[in-house]
Amino acid sequence: MIELRVQYLAQLRTARGVADESCHLPEGATLAQLLTQLAGTHGAEVAKHLYAAAGVVQPSLMIAVNGTAISVRQSSQTLLRSGDVVTLMPPIAGG
Amino acid sequence: MTYPALTPAEQSRYEWQMWVRDFGETGQRRLKAASVLISRIGGVGGTVAMHLATAGVGRLVLAHAGDLRLNDLNRQLLMSTADVGSPRIESAARRLRELNPQVVVETVNENLDVSNVGRYVSQVDLVVSAAPLFVERLAMNRAAVRQRKPLVDCAMYDLEGRLITVRPGRTPCLDCLYPESPPLWKREFPVFGAVASTVASIAAMEVIKLLAGFGKPLENQLLSYDLREMSFQTIAIARRPDCPTCGQLSA
Ligand SMILES: [Zn+2]
Repeated sequence: MIELRVQYLAQLRTARGVADESCHLPEGATLAQLLTQLAGTHGAEVAKHLYAAAGVVQPSLMIAVNGTAISVRQSSQTLLRSGDVVTLMPPIAGG
Repeated sequence: MTYPALTPAEQSRYEWQMWVRDFGETGQRRLKAASVLISRIGGVGGTVAMHLATAGVGRLVLAHAGDLRLNDLNRQLLMSTADVGSPRIESAARRLRELNPQVVVETVNENLDVSNVGRYVSQVDLVVSAAPLFVERLAMNRAAVRQRKPLVDCAMYDLEGRLITVRPGRTPCLDCLYPESPPLWKREFPVFGAVASTVASIAAMEVIKLLAGFGKPLENQLLSYDLREMSFQTIAIARRPDCPTCGQLSA
């Protein structure tokens, strides 16, 4: 198992109710697996900000691993390691 | 390029900021020669406009349609209770001219969209993106990139603020970051005036740096903070080679 930190920003923070939490995944897990796990465990309000449709990650969701943005299209090739910080940032436009 | 000289009244008005290292009188003259388009004039854009006016940016073009409502006033520093029901852009312009009569304030009583954005962007040196809808922000981004003008995008939600500086050909643009217009963003969002003001103040300083040519702009990074947690971070962001808006551009 690996243990990492997930940071929720903006509407995801509102939906999840916490700013961050730790998360456990099997060794060799990818970013896509993390998103699937979060969407499956935390209810529809969280899931809708992660997935546009079944298996389709929200194209405009911004995701960073250890402070560097990762393209949503790379999520199934991005391997996660223990200690990683994954930041999930739904777009905001409050003006 | 030569920049306009400062009058004695301007020398006095801006004295304390001209003490800022690397800015000085040269920076002030550059600001005097500069023009900025701000859309829209809400809690964020209004406060950006206020700081740019008091700092002495020569010409401000403000775009925002419609009248002021009572429920705008928790975050509007430029407008008064007596202005409710009147065009907000006129209230904002009046207050800005009171704050600094040396600055030219132009008003556009409409919101920007693909049909008019190119014309307004062509009239200025820099664009401040502070609209509450992505469709407007993305239209401004496309016009700014096409005309190779810097754009400072500032946004808030709840107790969070975010800032992105777009320098076409050098940094990602908004289309690099949002390959499609975000479908879940809602026009009405939770907002404290103090949060809108923080991101506006940071954006105003970024604009002043870009116009005056000092300091280090936020390039290839996104600034994000959450005042609920008092946490501040930057995220490294990169251009998308297949971006339809800036992918073909070189620095
Ligand atoms: Zn781009």
